[in-house]
Amino acid sequence: MSETRTLPLAQALPGMLLAAPVLDAGGNVLLPAALTLTENHIESLHRRGIATLAISTPAEPVDIARKREELRARVMHIFRHTVDDPGSQALLHAVLAFRQEQLK
Amino acid sequence: MSGQPTLSDMLARIQRLPALPAVALELLDTLSGGDSDVAVLARHIAQDQAIAARVLRVANSPFYGLQSRVGSIHDAVVVLGFSTVRSLVLAAAVVTGLPGGHCAGFDPHRFWRHVMGTAVAAQSLAQRLRRPPESLFVAGLLHDIGRLAMVSIYPEQFARALVIARERDCSLREVELEIFGFDHTAVGAALTLRWHLPEEIIDALAYHHQPELGAPGGLAPIIHYADAISTALDFEEAEDTLMPRLHPATIDALGLGWQSLTEVLADTRTRFESYRLLLG
Repeated sequence: MSETRTLPLAQALPGMLLAAPVLDAGGNVLLPAALTLTENHIESLHRRGIATLAISTPAEPVDIARKREELRARVMHIFRHTVDDPGSQALLHAVLAFRQEQLK
Repeated sequence: MSGQPTLSDMLARIQRLPALPAVALELLDTLSGGDSDVAVLARHIAQDQAIAARVLRVANSPFYGLQSRVGSIHDAVVVLGFSTVRSLVLAAAVVTGLPGGHCAGFDPHRFWRHVMGTAVAAQSLAQRLRRPPESLFVAGLLHDIGRLAMVSIYPEQFARALVIARERDCSLREVELEIFGFDHTAVGAALTLRWHLPEEIIDALAYHHQPELGAPGGLAPIIHYADAISTALDFEEAEDTLMPRLHPATIDALGLGWQSLTEVLADTRTRFESYRLLLG
């Protein structure tokens, strides 16, 4: 079972899993839920002044993490031309979260 | 462009397509409020064993959670209700009665999985949005039927459209418009007009890619989203699956919050696992 906790951005590490999308002040999605953070993501969030993140813990076994990443890549492939379309946002993030949830 | 088929050429040739099984036409008539005797219809359905067997497979699937096994169409009507059985029979009749012909690169398995996913997503959306579930199921089931007619009537041109769409990595509808000058939505609407389907279903087929042009309060917005949900859930099992563009104001107007959307995804997935049994 994973739990969600709110973490100051300063404590975020590459490899951590986002439990919820990261939104900017205008409500735009900067990073989707169920994304595994990289150093670049964290740097970019610093630049955008994000203070906290919802992180899913504990860390998962390697095979689950790999399946999760494959699933995310597949969903992003299906949305490859519409990833930034306003009409697609809700469905993209809901389907990412739903399909990741199914892995558990 | 010379040699390009026109929509009227296409419609003239539709006559040559295999007709839907008689029982499907009778059921479609009852959707429009036709005066049919349910008991007589149930007997007709039971006579088509290929259809009846598929329907019973779904009726006995875990989705309906029946205590004991349903062994006949008559029992299925008693236990599940006429409306549910009618949807299942229509789906089985359409799947078995309208084969995809021979067109290079066209994968009927992919086509029907996507269609069935759209039909169950439309049913699920109907429940949450309090819209007519059966009309939406049928509209989902038939939303790409025009494509099947194009495949059967112009297999060579359609095969070319499939190749171009793959090479450009663009939507097939875009290439349909380019090659034929019309797309599957126009063909589907014309075909179902000929079958005397209710207007709300014809409108949904005609405008499922341009829901803002559909009749106010119509079903096109829901089929627009159901089509996308089926695509997002990857039912097609195809490498080049591509999400269609969604019309933001239409999606907003549906007013489906995060929680409801998540429930629709889960429910669609569950329904699909049962309804895919109709595909044989």
